[in-house]
Amino acid sequence: MLNVFKNLPYLGQYFILSFLLCLFAWLSLFSWSIVPITGQQALTALLHPDKNIIAHSIVLDLRLPRVLVAAVVGACLAVAGAIMQGLTRNPLASPSVLGVNAGAALGMATVSTIAPWFGLFGTSVAAIIGGAITWSLVMLLGAAWRGGNEHGRLVLAGVAISALCAALTKAMIILHEDQAAGVLTWLAGSVADARWSHWQQLWPMALVGLLGAFLMSPTLNLLNLGEDNARSLGVKLGWARVICSLLVLLLVGAALSVAGSIAFIGLLVPHMAKSLVGQDHRKVLPIAAIMGALLVMIADVVSRSIIYPIETPAGAILALIGAPFFIYMVRARTS
Amino acid sequence: MRTLFVSFSLFSLLAFLVVLSLSFGAVSLSISEILSGFTPDSEFYFTIHEYRFPRAVLAVLVGAMMALSGALVQGVIRNPLASPDVLGVSQGAGLAAVVLMTLFPSVSIFWLPWAALAGGISAALLLWALCGAHSSAIKLAITGVAMAALYSSAVDFLMLTRPLEINNALLWLTGSLWGRGWDQVFMILPWLVLLPLAFWLAKRMNLISLGDEVATSLGVSIPVTRLSALAIAVGLTASCVAICGPIGFLGLIAPHLARRLVGGRHQILLPCSMVVGMVILLLADLLARTINPPIELPAGIMTAIIGAPYFLWLLLKTR
Repeated sequence: MLNVFKNLPYLGQYFILSFLLCLFAWLSLFSWSIVPITGQQALTALLHPDKNIIAHSIVLDLRLPRVLVAAVVGACLAVAGAIMQGLTRNPLASPSVLGVNAGAALGMATVSTIAPWFGLFGTSVAAIIGGAITWSLVMLLGAAWRGGNEHGRLVLAGVAISALCAALTKAMIILHEDQAAGVLTWLAGSVADARWSHWQQLWPMALVGLLGAFLMSPTLNLLNLGEDNARSLGVKLGWARVICSLLVLLLVGAALSVAGSIAFIGLLVPHMAKSLVGQDHRKVLPIAAIMGALLVMIADVVSRSIIYPIETPAGAILALIGAPFFIYMVRARTS
Repeated sequence: MRTLFVSFSLFSLLAFLVVLSLSFGAVSLSISEILSGFTPDSEFYFTIHEYRFPRAVLAVLVGAMMALSGALVQGVIRNPLASPDVLGVSQGAGLAAVVLMTLFPSVSIFWLPWAALAGGISAALLLWALCGAHSSAIKLAITGVAMAALYSSAVDFLMLTRPLEINNALLWLTGSLWGRGWDQVFMILPWLVLLPLAFWLAKRMNLISLGDEVATSLGVSIPVTRLSALAIAVGLTASCVAICGPIGFLGLIAPHLARRLVGGRHQILLPCSMVVGMVILLLADLLARTINPPIELPAGIMTAIIGAPYFLWLLLKTR
């Protein structure tokens, strides 16, 4: 089954994945609702909305933004992970492993506890700045640009920075909220509270980030050949790195500021995409985007169903799936 | 001479911190009020005798045991990045304790240390099976970190799906001395049996640090020593985790600081690490309580803020 899918032409895989994406989006619009909604109702709510039917307004006001946000967040994180892996030539690189997630969360916590009047836009900017600081720290400490066999060091630097940022974030939230109740749900990413306002905030940044990533994919292919080869083929290494890093930060910042820290998507999905379509980033990035969207969407549906009336954060479920994969990758790729 | 000086200053620092942690908190007490707090008819009896004193005792015990287990692990696997929390043993023990508490709430709390011990041992064995005896420092650390990520995401998941009381939850996620009292002190006391066993190993660990071949030719059975040191370390860690959760980085940094103070001879290094661990944990707990009273931060947050930069520095040095 899997082999048949792997041997399909690229466009065929692309269409099958897109079809699955639409299918799950539709499923996620009506499944596990407290007010019963049928699949047909979900479709008519999209085509001929009628504000007087409760099911329609649930679908339009609660479920649709949630599905869209889940999909875009997944796509952003997956593409960010693919760029980071291409850039550092380290198969373990991803926003959560290298501490960008934790840094962005720390930035958001700082702004929302110290200066809450900045509002939603302020938190995304803070997320980007926080992520940028940790990303540069990790790269400096982990000797990232050397590539080659320094995989482990980079990851350990990322883990330590993550631990530091997580501790500071928790301290900040506890001190600010006078109690610790919010910490857990705050730190585990979830799309359960996504509304149209979040979507408005998310899509422009995600669009810029994703388009930029697709434009950079030929350069990422050249970087894969090694620094010297890339330079002799006309890649300006410094600029390529700066632009790619900015894209990563934009994508991660956008995703985190609406959904909180969702771990391991950026690690898991690029590898799945590469096992389907090979190493060509022009093909990997779009497939990774779709697969990331699909995975977060599925995790969101599962998070609603697992203990039915209570919602479990989707991030917690993804972490449970992602962590064993992380272990597998560590074993397979570190010497 | 140097050792004498170091131990004198460490012990005075420790005594000073104990007094500080008895006197500061939601209400500040003077020295005479602290002393009167130990007699039952004083108005401070409850604060001192039931609340602050057992907490300080526990910080001393847990700090010592965590630091000792870190020193044992670093000594026998000769890896500067190793410690029970970097290798995932603490988180494994924590996961087992949380599983026991959330899935079997009717089971007596008496079983908590044993569940933690089982979890810690399985985590250690799993890591051993994954890495084998001959992996590099970085690979062992990174596999341990990945395992730790798995265990703590499982703890997160359990916490989120079966909400506990939130201070309890924080305890199991980051480690904290919040709300611990005499009961916990008596729970941890039997485990102090492991201390003389650890000191008994000190001499062999000195020989192991010369290298496997040299140690073998000097008559040390490497597998036996290594295994017993690791088993003691896991036991110490598990009993601490069962009481106050996985306090991160303590077992990593205390032995390193001690090694810089008194050098690598294990007969001195082991007790010195213990005292350094006591000092660090008392300090972390004191800061966590007094930074903005009456709100309490978990002590594990403080040790992470101190310990993570130190870990980064070690990483830079490790070749």
